[in-house]
Amino acid sequence: MFKLTEDQAKATLKAAGLPVPEGFVCVSAAEAAAAAERLGGGAVVKALIPTGRRGKAGAVKLVATPAAAASAAASLIGTEALGHRIERVYVEARFPIARELYLSFLLEGMPPKVVLSTAGGVDIEETHRDRPGAIIQGDVDPLTGFTADQARTLWGRAGVTGPEIAGLAEVSAALWRAFRATDAVLMEINPLALDASGRPSVVGAMIAIDENGLPRHPEWAEQADGSLIAAWRGFNEREKRIAEVNRQFKGGAIRYTELDGDIGLFVGGGGAGLLQHDMILAEGGRPANHTDMNPGDGTGEKNKAVYLAVLDNPNTNCLLIGFNYLQLAQCEQKVKPLLAALKERGVDPRDFPIVLRVLGPGEEAARAMVKDVPGITYLAPDSSLDDGVRLICEINRAIVQRKQPAAR
Amino acid sequence: MSILIDQGTRVLVQGVTGSQGRRDTKHCLDYETRVVCGVTPGKGGEEVHGLPVYNSVAEATAVHAVDCSLLFVPPLATKDAVLESLAAGIKLVVALAEFVPRHDTAIIAAAAREARAIVVGCNTNGLISPGKCKVGGIGGDRPYDCYVPGRIGVVSRSGGMSAELARVLKFAGLGVTTSVSMGGDVIPGTPMVEYVKMFVADPETDGIVVFGEPGTRAEHDVAAFLRAGGCPKPLVALLAGEFQERYPKGVSFGHVAAMIESDTDTVSAKRRMLADSGALVAHSLGDIPRLMQGALKK
Repeated sequence: MFKLTEDQAKATLKAAGLPVPEGFVCVSAAEAAAAAERLGGGAVVKALIPTGRRGKAGAVKLVATPAAAASAAASLIGTEALGHRIERVYVEARFPIARELYLSFLLEGMPPKVVLSTAGGVDIEETHRDRPGAIIQGDVDPLTGFTADQARTLWGRAGVTGPEIAGLAEVSAALWRAFRATDAVLMEINPLALDASGRPSVVGAMIAIDENGLPRHPEWAEQADGSLIAAWRGFNEREKRIAEVNRQFKGGAIRYTELDGDIGLFVGGGGAGLLQHDMILAEGGRPANHTDMNPGDGTGEKNKAVYLAVLDNPNTNCLLIGFNYLQLAQCEQKVKPLLAALKERGVDPRDFPIVLRVLGPGEEAARAMVKDVPGITYLAPDSSLDDGVRLICEINRAIVQRKQPAAR
Repeated sequence: MSILIDQGTRVLVQGVTGSQGRRDTKHCLDYETRVVCGVTPGKGGEEVHGLPVYNSVAEATAVHAVDCSLLFVPPLATKDAVLESLAAGIKLVVALAEFVPRHDTAIIAAAAREARAIVVGCNTNGLISPGKCKVGGIGGDRPYDCYVPGRIGVVSRSGGMSAELARVLKFAGLGVTTSVSMGGDVIPGTPMVEYVKMFVADPETDGIVVFGEPGTRAEHDVAAFLRAGGCPKPLVALLAGEFQERYPKGVSFGHVAAMIESDTDTVSAKRRMLADSGALVAHSLGDIPRLMQGALKK
């Protein structure tokens, strides 16, 4: 999942025919002044950063003149807000707001949910806490979508009574269609504003996109890369290298995330990786990284890239290569790139012990490849994932103990 | 007996002419699965492994009686292919593709429910009733390495873990009635609890093993079903991914569904909920046969 920036979200909704205030992306004070001029003088100047709550952080400024727009932009660009560096601002027309509503769609399971409220313009979490009755929730049938009829019913329950409900319902149903068409998993329109005549406008828009939908939206492909971890703490050098290999070879991807422990992991598939990681913690060990392997094209290169990353991580003492019993993939695919990576970095497994629990097709060939390499333990055909975890934790404990006296 | 598939199940393969379709169909035929025909638009009239290929599911079902459709179809084409099988009246659809857009999976789940059909997947390697039938890549070309006949029903959110679970049951002298890889997506075609209900109803299944992960409400539904007294058979649950709770919400380490989204979707919360509902909670693979055998002796 990754978030669109405000300009992207609004451009998308505008293209879908929704009423969106006019706005321009600006990278300098001069551009902001020109944009305000085109909007008739007055404008809203907002920091273009992928996060909400910008108003509270002072990253949204109302201005009455192009000169004021310029100084607002100058005061924002180059600074930081909410952990993001502001490089661009969005200069948008001021909509004459008479009433602020809230509407969101969420696709986190079945059925999809719609949440709406007449208490817009503030944090929905606060409304939920202080006035839970002001929030109306509904289920959406994916086969019919959110219809104008259903929207009328729900807005009526939320307390919208006047003639404005017709236009509001139409816009709400169109927003669902855009939610579906953009492969969004979360869309929050806050505020969904009405002017004095009841005309709606999408004044606040936050959209998060499902990565699986990206092939239908190639224009967003770049910014989706590893956005979750990037948003958490930014990629390090080795993680960037893995992202690069993923870009090089399409059709599948590998995830490599460094953590604060000392046991290197090359584990998969998804479920078996999670299980081994949990069991290492239960044994008192701490992984130096996590992996999730679904390599697709370029399997050998991707596997080798992960091995190199593990070997280059200075905190790693040893390596567990643990996979669920392979049903179609070949065991050699895991072992060959390991040997290549060890050779390339000149690492001797006697100094960097490796445990393999890789069973299934191609196992004999894989065993033969490492048979005479001291420091590599290839677990027996009847071993379980539990055994690999126990052994690597034992090996790591011995290494940690050996290191301790030297540190004293 | 077993659930969903047995020796009598007649299978149609959508996307049979592709390389994965050809290979895995061969493995299914080698296992004596009754594959009766294939479908690939534009390739009607061809043959794969001696099976006739048709241009559409409707064309194929006009000639063959079909119980199950197996899809080797790319992610963006999966929704329409599933709907095509459901429209032809097929009540069991196995959709293998990973990376199907979530909106498509929502439509698939809703359509399956409306058609009163079971959709296994998306993002699965299929299901197997050992010794009788396998549908999908599950077990590869060496299914007996892991899957042997027995009396335990398995439903797993991870296809790979399905093999490990079956293997640990095999080594313990247990074995499997049916193992279903239900798929690792946020929105599966059929929810986990529906498979548990089928295992409860199956007279040859004595115990049930479920493998769960962080994210989704799959395990909550199972717990609610247990609390309501729906499951007189022992149910052992192995849940993986507790370590994710050490990291910020939304950071994903595995399956797309395995993202921690809310405090009640975490593995530790689910474990507590399942344990409180009468499930036996395993913490390692070795725990599974131990807990199961202990419960079956009673």
